[in-house]
Order: sequence, then structure tokens, then C-alpha cells
Amino acid sequence: MAHDHQHDGPDSTGRRRAIQALSATGMLTALPAWFNFAKAQTPTQRLLIRIGADISILDPARIFQIENQSVAANVYNGLVKYDQATNEIVPDLAESWTISDDAKIYTFKLRQGVEWHKGYGAFTSDDAKFSFDRVLDPATGSAYRGQIADIIEAVEAPDASTVRFVLKNTNAEFLHKVTAFNNGWLVSRKAVTEMGDKYNLNPIGTGPFVFEQWISGSEVRLSANPKYFEGAPKISQLIFRLIRDETAAAIALERKEIDIFFAMQQPEVIERLRKTAGVQVLEREASSTVNLVINTTIKPFDDIRVRRAIAHAINRPAIIKGFFRDTKYEARTVLTGAFPEYSTEVPDYPYDPELAKSLLKEAGVSNLRFEITTPGLNPYDKFVVPMANDLNQIGIQATIRVLERGAYQQARSSGNVQSCITSVVGPPDPGAPLVTLYARKSFPPGLNSARYEGVEDLLQAVSGELDADKRKAIYAEIQRKTMEDLPVLPLYADRLFMAHTDAVQGLVQNSMFTVQGYTTSVRGA
Amino acid sequence: MIRSLLSSMIRLIVTVLGVVTVTFFLMRAIPGDPALYMLGDYATADAVAALQAKLGLDRPVVYQYGLFLKQTLSGDLGSSVVTGQPALTEIVSNLPWSIALAVLGMAIAIAIGVPLGITSARHQGTWLDRAVMVGALMGISFPVFWIGLVAILGFSHWAGLFPTLGAGNGQFWSELHHLILPATVLGISVAAYIARLTRSAMLEVLGQDYVRVARAMGISERRIFYRLALRNAMVPILSVISVTFAWSLGNAILIEVVFSRPGLGSTIMKAVLSRDYQLVQAGLLVLATAVVAINTLFNFLYGIIDPRLQKR
Repeated sequence: MAHDHQHDGPDSTGRRRAIQALSATGMLTALPAWFNFAKAQTPTQRLLIRIGADISILDPARIFQIENQSVAANVYNGLVKYDQATNEIVPDLAESWTISDDAKIYTFKLRQGVEWHKGYGAFTSDDAKFSFDRVLDPATGSAYRGQIADIIEAVEAPDASTVRFVLKNTNAEFLHKVTAFNNGWLVSRKAVTEMGDKYNLNPIGTGPFVFEQWISGSEVRLSANPKYFEGAPKISQLIFRLIRDETAAAIALERKEIDIFFAMQQPEVIERLRKTAGVQVLEREASSTVNLVINTTIKPFDDIRVRRAIAHAINRPAIIKGFFRDTKYEARTVLTGAFPEYSTEVPDYPYDPELAKSLLKEAGVSNLRFEITTPGLNPYDKFVVPMANDLNQIGIQATIRVLERGAYQQARSSGNVQSCITSVVGPPDPGAPLVTLYARKSFPPGLNSARYEGVEDLLQAVSGELDADKRKAIYAEIQRKTMEDLPVLPLYADRLFMAHTDAVQGLVQNSMFTVQGYTTSVRGA
Repeated sequence: MIRSLLSSMIRLIVTVLGVVTVTFFLMRAIPGDPALYMLGDYATADAVAALQAKLGLDRPVVYQYGLFLKQTLSGDLGSSVVTGQPALTEIVSNLPWSIALAVLGMAIAIAIGVPLGITSARHQGTWLDRAVMVGALMGISFPVFWIGLVAILGFSHWAGLFPTLGAGNGQFWSELHHLILPATVLGISVAAYIARLTRSAMLEVLGQDYVRVARAMGISERRIFYRLALRNAMVPILSVISVTFAWSLGNAILIEVVFSRPGLGSTIMKAVLSRDYQLVQAGLLVLATAVVAINTLFNFLYGIIDPRLQKR
């Protein structure tokens, strides 16, 4: 076995008695060993994955944050899913589906004989209907209600193996809304109803791993589902271990205390692990960009020349090369190369301080003050410093306001911030970033703190368009128009990094910021 | 005795009530909203309103406070706003980790700090005294998270003696192995304080008239030092220890983060960042109770050490 430290031998009664004797003397009463789990465990093949923040919500109706999503991705299935490697939509719990000619009725044929974890019975169309109905129900308080409420008219379950979505309007993109991610993950009616609030951290799914235990502030334990419909996983236990600091996580990987280092961000850590023998670094283009969102309703930023001046003044290539050491990539629009709809036929704003100055002069603006609000999270609170410096070079008095996440969200939602740093993380559904950044309905609250309304008709048109090529053309037009109007300046395209030891095999990195253990095995175990 | 016990109880209740009240209003005064936090980037106005209503956050703050007091007094600390789990359960499940760290850390601090302070006082003005005091000054000046990172680098990464992070796999020896380095780091930072204060307490007693009288009577220096001075210096030393215990719980938060340990500190920090009101309140209630209870316990200890204090 390659990882001896990962295997708990059965605790001998003798040792346990010795511990009890020690505690009786009162010497070591406070040690928590017996509070949690002194039970014997059989040697198993484990996969240990580092996560950088603790989990909190595993209910698909309210789930957010990559750590929660990574755990959920191993527990739940959707009707359909994104292929990990290609992002193509492929069958999951639905074996097949048909779309009516007007793209208003989507009918899914469900897999038979699938069981919920922990004895919650067979998966049926009623569970699928329930999963979406509860997201639509305002009383659930789902974050994703807004994504589907104005699309879905009704969800029907005509028989145990069929689920049908009747839509309000023609929608050619609807499959993205039922894909295995966030609210697309299906839940068991019985489990959710019975458990109530407890369901949140006791998720019941149909996926390759069964949720076993959450140890607050420490780790999350999942065990293999031997009855998984695509076959049992190769590993028997999946453990997400909380390590906040990236340098500490790198050391842990080097010492093989963990197998996979998930969500690696710091350029120094990436560089270090690239040079480490026995460690592989994976990278993939993400489906997210990091952006400067400029409020188009505050003077003088309502003037397009001022926004363009800001774009020309910021040396984005230098930030990518200098600050990020080429671990991020140029962003031409708010979509990235991970989307088939990505278009590069858009206006470009190369670094040109002279042009920026003359644009400001043309707009009649001098002594401009410009405040950038950014969350106090690495790297968002750091790369804005060279950015502000660039702006100062052309005479804009740029200031940075770093706010802790809760305060940042509140400030952004107030609509009073001149500009803010915003990133959109989500599934490879082109509607997700475009609607959340540019649609009128996405504020307040939401990400359209630019208060931009210039592509309402195009966003409407794209979901009603049945022809795939025409749809792609409309997406290209949305990207061109938004880059011309520039309510949002894409600063860089994100890149996802993961590292693993040589013992890990079969790991596929997706573009959604989640990590899945199903295809993975650990060599030598 | 009963009267002092009663007054201690009243003091405990008043202090804890004060702490939870300040916490309650402070949490609501800082910008940020749990509903907005949970709904995140896809939040819509009606979803935020619905969730606020569900969490009772749409009511006036004073009403929320009244409800909170009523529930707290009946022993119900509510459920975590984010996870929906009972807040007290999450706090209590994290408590053993923090107690283990704080107790072992304090034991190390006392074991290092008190003898160093005494030695330093005994050899006042010599190179030994200066060396100890400079060392203690450094221990106070370096932030505990920095000492922690250096310890990880030196003892875990280079020397490979201890695990870099976590709290062990549930086995007793593994948990102890994981505890040693963080507890030592905590111990060193607190020991620096204790050493300095022990030294000054000792020197103060050694300057008293009765010590001079004892010297004039020809009582051996050794006897004066350990029988007269140390015994009388114990009270200020104990009070320093009881105060630094509360302080070490604060340092434990930083240590928990550096060593990726579970515990009360990291739980409260997480709760503050996610505006998890109930969890913060429950955590601080437990923390405040612990600190006040420890101080009360030490108050009784003074009485045992110095009978004069018992009579007051």
C-alpha cells in the first residue's frame, strides 16, 4: 500500500483500555479521540482531496461554492450531465429525451432500477418532478428559482419512467437548465420531506458515492456506492480534507498526506508543484472570467468614452504575465474558449495610455476619481493594485476599496458602487454568464451592477431561436455589442489548476470547478 | 463561601448576557446579509426576501433580540442560518479540539514560562536574565501565526517529525501527534508573557520589607526565595495565567487556521464570514462562559493559596 498513513488499523481493546485508564487519571481528559470515532475500520482504498473551505450546504436548491459543489457532484446525478472532458450534454438519469418541434416540450425517459442511497427506495419520475417543483416554489428560498421560473410552465410525471417539462416559450437551450449541476441535481422526495432542515448536510443521491459524515472544520467522508448504475467506483472511500492555506496544502501533497490538491490558485504554489518530482499539475481553461463591472448610470461613467479610456489604460497583458505569471489568459469577452459560443470578432481594447488620455479629453473629463470595489479574497484584492496604478498613470485617481465578502455583496447590491470586480462561476451554459452580467433582471441583487440594458432583445431572441447556427450568431452578436458598449471589461480568463501525486490515475479535470472521484483510482493500493 | 459562590454566579450571568447582547447587535450592525450570502451571484430580489422571511430576518431587530433572549434562556440557541443544523451541536462538537489545544498549550506555557521567570528574577541583572527577557520579548513580538508557519516549515517539512496539518484520524496517538506542534507553538507564545510577568511579580515581592527583615535575620537566600517570595508571588502569577488563558483562546483561533485544525475558533471565524448569526452567538456564548468560569475557578484558587483573600 502506497499510503500507510491513510489506513486505520482496528483499534485494539488493550490500547483503548489504556486510553481509558489515562483519562481516568485526568491527565488527558480533553483529547477528542473518543468523542468522534473510535470504531474499528477495515483497510480501504482511499482518495484524499484537499478543499480550501468548509462545506455548508449540500441541498441542490440552495447549494453554492465549489467545495459544496464538488461533494455534491460525487453524490448526485441529474437528468443529463456535462461530459467531464468535452462539456457535451450526455445522458445521466435520463436514458434518452425528445424535444418537441417548437422546443416547448422536453420529455425525458428515465433509467429504471436506480436506487437512492441509504435505503430511500427507487428513483422515480416523481422524484424528478419534486426536485424541480421545490426549486420553483418561492417558499424553498432557492437561489436558482430565477434561472428557471420564467422558463418552466409545468413539470409533469405521466408515468414512473417519464418526466416532461412544459415551457412557457420556445427554448432551444433548456437542456442546460436540467443538467447535473446546482439545481439540476435530483433529490429524493422521501428524504427531503422526512429530514427537513437536516437534509442540508445529509444529502441522499443516486451517485457513485454515498455521503457518510461531515466533521465540521476538518473533513467530509464519502463511501463508494457499490450499486451505482454505471458500476461501482474504483476507490472505496473519498475524503475531502479541509486545508485552508495553499502552501500548507502543497507541503501535504509533497508528503503524500493528500492525493489531490484541488482549487490551486497561487502562482508561486503552482510553480513550486510543477517542479516537484512525483507530482502532476493539471490545468484547464475555466468557463469563467474575472471582470471589472462599471456602473453605467453614474456620471461620468455613463459616457462610453470614459469606459473605453479605462479599458485602454489598464495593461491587462502585463497583469497576466507579471502578477499571475501566465497562469491566467487573455479574455476577449465574458465567455471563454471553454464555450463553443465564444466569439473573438469583438472590439478589442489594447493597452494604449495615450489613446486613453485623449478619450478622456474628448469626453471633457479631468481629475477623474474612480473607485474599484473588490472582495477581500486572494487574488482579487491584490491584482487590482497594478490595475489602479495603470489608471493613475493617465491621471485617473483610482482608489481601491477591499471589502470582506458579506460587505462586498451588500455594497454591490446597493447599486452605488462605481465599479467592482466580479467573477461568474458556473456550468458551461452560455446563458449563465451573459444573463447574470447583462440582463436587466439580474439586478438588484445580482451581478449586473453595471445596470446595463443594451442586449435585452438579443437575450430574448437567443432562447427562442431553434436553429443552432443562428443561435451561435446571436451569441456572437451579444458578445460584440456588449464589448462595444463596455459595461463590463473582462480582465482575464480563469484557468483551473489541480495537482495530484503520481499514484492517482484516471483523474479528469472538468471546466466547472468541481472534482470527481468516480473515474479515479490510486495505484499501488 | 456560599455568598461568594452566588456572587460569582451572578457575575457569570451578567458577563455572558453582556457578551451575547453585544455580539447580537454587532453581527447585525456589520454590513452583509446571510440571505444574500447564501443566494450568492444568482440571487433575485424575491428569493432574498423569501429567505429573509424564512430566517426571521425581516422582523425588527429588537423583536429578533427579544425572541433570541427568550430562546436562549430556554436553552435553545437556534440553528445555524447556513447549514440548518443546531448551532450548539456544531459548537460542542468542535469544543474538544479547542480544549485539547488550549489545555496542552497552557500546560506547556506554564511549564516553560514560570521556571524561566523565576530563574530570571533570581539572577536579575545577569546575562541569563537579559537572555531570557530578550527571548520573551521576541516570543511576544512575533505573531503566533508566523511562529506556526516557521514551526511547520522546520519540524514538519524539513525534519519530518510532525504532520503538517489536520487533527488526526480519530486514533488517540494520531491525535496527540497532530496536537504537539500547534500546542507547543501556542505554549511558546503564551510562555513569553508568563515569564515576563512571573519575573516582575517575583522582583516586586523580593523588594518588600519582610524580605529585607528575613535577610537581616540571616535566613538563607534559598529559603527566602522559595518559601517567602515564591509563595507570595503565586497570586499575581495565577491571575496572569487566568487572564492569559482567555488570551490563549484567541491565539488558538489563529493556530487552528495555520494548522488547518477544527475547533471553536475556526468555527466562529467561518460563521462570522458567512454571517451565520446563530452560530456566532452560540460560539461566543460558549466561549464567554468558558472564560468567565475559568476566571471564577482561579478566584477560588487564590483563596486556597492565600488564606487572607478567603476572608475578604
